[in-house]
Formats: sequence, structure tokens, C-alpha cells
Amino acid sequence: MIVVDHLAKAFGRHREVRAVDGVAFTAPDRAITGLLGPNGAGKTTLLRMLSTLMIPDSGTASIEGHDVVRERYAVRRRIGVLSDARGLYPRLTARENIRYYGALQGIQADALERRIEELVQALAIAGIADRRTQGFSQGERMKVAIARALVHDPQTILLDEPTNGLDIMSIRALRALLRDLRSSGKCLLFSSHVMQEVTALCDSIVILGHGRVIASGTVAELVAKSGETVLEDAFVRLLGSGEGLAA
Amino acid sequence: MISRGESSTARVATVARKEIIDIFRDRRTMLVTLVTAIVAGPVLMLLVLNLIARQSDKVRELVLPVVGIERAPALQAFLERQQLTLKPAPADYEAAIKSGEVDVVLEVDAAFADDVAGGRPGTIRLAYDRSRDRARAAIAEVEALLRAFNREWGRGRLLLRGIAPEVANPLNVESRDLATPQSSGALVLFLIAFYGLFASVMGGMAAALDTTAGERERMSLEPLLNTPIGPLELATGKWLAVSLLNAAAVVLTLTGFYLALRFAPLPAVGIPFLFGPAEFGRFLVTLIPLILLMPAILLYVGCRGRTFKEAQSNLSVLLFGISLLPIVQMFLQRKDPSWLSWVPVSGQYALLSRALRGEALPWMELLQSYVIPALLTVIALTAVGRLFSRESLLVGR
Repeated sequence: MIVVDHLAKAFGRHREVRAVDGVAFTAPDRAITGLLGPNGAGKTTLLRMLSTLMIPDSGTASIEGHDVVRERYAVRRRIGVLSDARGLYPRLTARENIRYYGALQGIQADALERRIEELVQALAIAGIADRRTQGFSQGERMKVAIARALVHDPQTILLDEPTNGLDIMSIRALRALLRDLRSSGKCLLFSSHVMQEVTALCDSIVILGHGRVIASGTVAELVAKSGETVLEDAFVRLLGSGEGLAA
Repeated sequence: MISRGESSTARVATVARKEIIDIFRDRRTMLVTLVTAIVAGPVLMLLVLNLIARQSDKVRELVLPVVGIERAPALQAFLERQQLTLKPAPADYEAAIKSGEVDVVLEVDAAFADDVAGGRPGTIRLAYDRSRDRARAAIAEVEALLRAFNREWGRGRLLLRGIAPEVANPLNVESRDLATPQSSGALVLFLIAFYGLFASVMGGMAAALDTTAGERERMSLEPLLNTPIGPLELATGKWLAVSLLNAAAVVLTLTGFYLALRFAPLPAVGIPFLFGPAEFGRFLVTLIPLILLMPAILLYVGCRGRTFKEAQSNLSVLLFGISLLPIVQMFLQRKDPSWLSWVPVSGQYALLSRALRGEALPWMELLQSYVIPALLTVIALTAVGRLFSRESLLVGR
């Protein structure tokens, strides 16, 4: 479970860019929570604070009861992160890339090899597992990056725009995987600027705009709240204008 | 949940192992390192040795262009006895000297025979260009021969007058050249010391940049920092890997020199220094502080660069400064001040030159030369660790 309370973060010399400005929400286990917002809404900054890479200016956040600032290493052992940056090592094979992260998570050699084999089967990358990742397609890279993020079987999974640059087949495979993870009891937080992504997958949605939570709830609740009948219209209405959505 | 270890050492080792594999699979980097290490240094050294050999050969088979030698038959006979080949000088010999075709020309004055017959000193003119290095040996040779002829002739005259030649030579100068066979040949010496230094400074460059700026450029740093690895652990692991490569580059370079001196067809000059297993060992011991320090500095500079290119241009400034130090030192040619052994690079260069001259390593100075690099290594590594924990590293500044 992720609990975020009045989290804030600003950038710039005079802290004039308020990327995240008092965000609060809860993402429960056994559910996919969507972070929906136009580009620049603060999704990536929020996820970076949750994944302990950035320190909030104020507010708190905890993952499975561990504070993201004071217990950052405990948090890092419990989360799997698929960030916007998903570079692989081109001179290592897919399997070696995954193994590196597993070893850094402290998994012992035998258990690690078993776990890698499990992921290779689950993600259907057996054909490329022992090839160097140089020249992999976007979809292949994505799968290796996911395997790498899940190698330590984390309870909480953060995904920043995971469908960016993927073709429809890869997107469908990814959705199926995320649903599997949900049914095994994981807590998933999924950011996107594409509404169809979020509606297709998420149990509840947090809409972000200008670093603030504009609305949250299930699709039905959001539609009801806005007085519109379609989520897209609800989204636009909740954001206050038509800005950014098309991007 | 999968059972897991919590060891910091294990994480450092994991990073180091991965980086080593990564480096050794980078064919371009390996090729460049290998070629500069084993080939470039020794080839350069052989060229210099050949140059020296040609200079000394030149003296032995000296051909001396002369003008009017027939006016001084005694001198002609003397020079020919000394196995000089005399030949008429070209009419425009001054131009020939300037262009380097001719090293030195001897001209006997038109009034030579008359002067000598009249009891006055006869005039011999030498024309040469002393600013040309290659001509110096020939000039010195001819001058020495003329002095010898002068002495011999004077001696004969004194004897004819019944005076012991010693009367005219009250001073008996005996010089002893204390140069061991090793301490001459400064240029070759400089070359080997410089290349040893060069290897320890440059050996880890490509790898250090790839593992820092390259990691940022490939966007693999952010996911890496999401694992439980601490910033200092990450810095240490990378530093170990680059240091290992650096050490390998130095060992290869020295091996290259050793093999070249041992097996290459060397010209028939006495090798003016020793480079055997003992010197090999002294070189390594001297270079250890740089082998460990340079990777830390390279990592720091690499981390500050957003891209490989940016880091590379920052580095070239640093490396230029470092490689300038020994060159300045060589041209100063004064006795090194005692504080120099504390200064990184300069201290190592001084110690390397001494090792090449066949001296044992002065332990005090060796220890002194370790102190500052060790401190700098710790500082640089800490700084790299701090950079890895900086948020701005993720946002691209």
C-alpha cells in the first residue's frame, strides 16, 4: 500500500516551479491505481519521490509503512520501478541485465537463476534472453526492463508511462501482465497521459493537474462527479480546460 | 518473498564484476587500450634508439668536405690516418650546411703554407651550423681531431728545439665520466617514464567515461539508483573496475617495453639504461598511487558530463595539464626540489627516472608520493558518491 500525504516538491532557483503541490492519495494492495494527467502535471516527479530518488520539500509518503525519506533503502527493497528512463546495458545480454539488478537486490545465486527463468517464461523472452540487448526493439527493451524491475518480486510496483513507444501487441501483453500482478495481490501505481490506457486498466484514478490532485475515484465516480457521461469529457471538465490532453 | 542478503561488500563486488564484463566486451575501447599500450610506446622507443645509433655511426664514417687541403699536406695525412674520408667541398657549401646536407666543412687558408713557413700560425676555418642537433657529433669530432693535430705538431717542434713537451703542458687534465651506462640517453629514458605515466593516466579513460557519462546518456542510471545500492557503493564498485583496467593497461605498456628491449632487433648502440624485471617492479610500485587515483578523478569528471561527448571535452583539458608536467620537468633539467616527491604525477615521474637510472627506490620518497594521491582518491570517490545521490543528476543538470 502506498500512502501519500500533502507531498510537495518545487524546482528552480527560487523554488518557483511547483512540480508537485500538496498531493495526497492512497493506493491499496491488489489494485491498479492510475495517475492521469497531462504532460507536466507532476507525475514523474511524484513517482521519483515515491521511488526515493527525490526528497520532498514537505509532506510525507510511505510504502508498506516505510517512509520514503527516512527508510529509503527499506523502500527500495520493496518497490519495483519502471521509470521513464529504461536504458539497458547494450553489451550485456538480456539475462545478464536482469541478473545484475537481482544481485544488487541481494538475491542469492540459485534463487536468482530460478527467478530469472520464471520471468523469462512469463514475459515470453526466451528467444532473446541470451542475446546482447544492443539492437533490441522497443517492445523487447520494455520487457527486459520490466523483468529487471520485478526480479526481486516486489510488493509495490511503480510504472511511469509504461506504454510509451510500444506497439499495440506489446501494450496488450503489458496489460495482461499487470492484471496478473494485481490478482496476485500487488499494489500497482501506473502513470499515463493517455486516458484510454488508464480506463482500460485501473481500478481507481487520481487526476493530476499543475501538481495538484484535481479529482480521484473510480471511473464511475469521476463521471458522476463531473456531470458528464464519458470519462474524456469528465477529464477535460475536471482539469478546467481542454489543455494538454491531446499531447 | 525471495530470501536476500544485505551485504554492502556484495553489492560493491556486484557492480565491479558487471562493469569489468561490460568494459572487456567493449571491443573499441579494448583495441585502443591494447594498441596504445603494447605497440605505440615500444615503437616510438625503437625509433629513438635508431636515431641515436645513426648519430654515432655518422661520426665513425665521417666524410669531411674540404677546401684547399692540398695546402696542408701534413694535416691531410693526419686526418686520413684518423680514417676520415676527405672530399672536395661543393662551391656553395654554406647553403649545403644550412640545408643540412653537409654537417661541417674544413677550409685551409690560401696563405697557410706561407704563414707556417714564416713561423706564424696557419689558419684553418671550420664552417658548420651548431643549432642542428644531428651535426653536433661531427663538429665535435672534427674539432677534437684538429686539437690533436695541433698538439702533435707543437710537440714535434718543441722536441726539435730540445724542450720536453711537458714544459708547454703544465696541466694534465684527467676527467672521469661518472655517468653509468644507464644515466645517459636521457631522451629514451624520458620516453619510457613518460609512457608509463601516460598509461596510468589514460588507461581507464574510455571505461570511466562509459560507466558514468555513458550510463547517464543511455538512461540506465535512474533505474540503477532505484535498487538498494548506495551512492558510495556504486562509486566504489565502478572505481574498482576502472582501476583494474588501468592497472592492466600499465602492466601491458611496461610489458611492451620489456619485450621490445629484450627481443626487438636493437641497433648496435649500448642501451643507455636498464629495463629488466627489477625496473618493471619499481615502475609498478611507483605508479600504484596514480593507477588508483586517476580512475577516481576520471569518474568524477565523467559524472559531471551529461553526455559522453561533454565529459570527453572536459577531460581533455585535465589530461593536457597532467601530461604537460613531466615535459616541463624534463626541460627544466635542474635538480628536483625535495618537495617535488609529494606532488602527484611530478613525484612519480621523478621516481621513475631514478628507477631507470638503475637506482634503488628511496622508500621515504616513495611513501611521500603515496600520501597526496591517496587523499585525493578518497576525496574524489566521496565526490562521485555525492554526485550519484544528487537529484539534479536525474533531471539532466
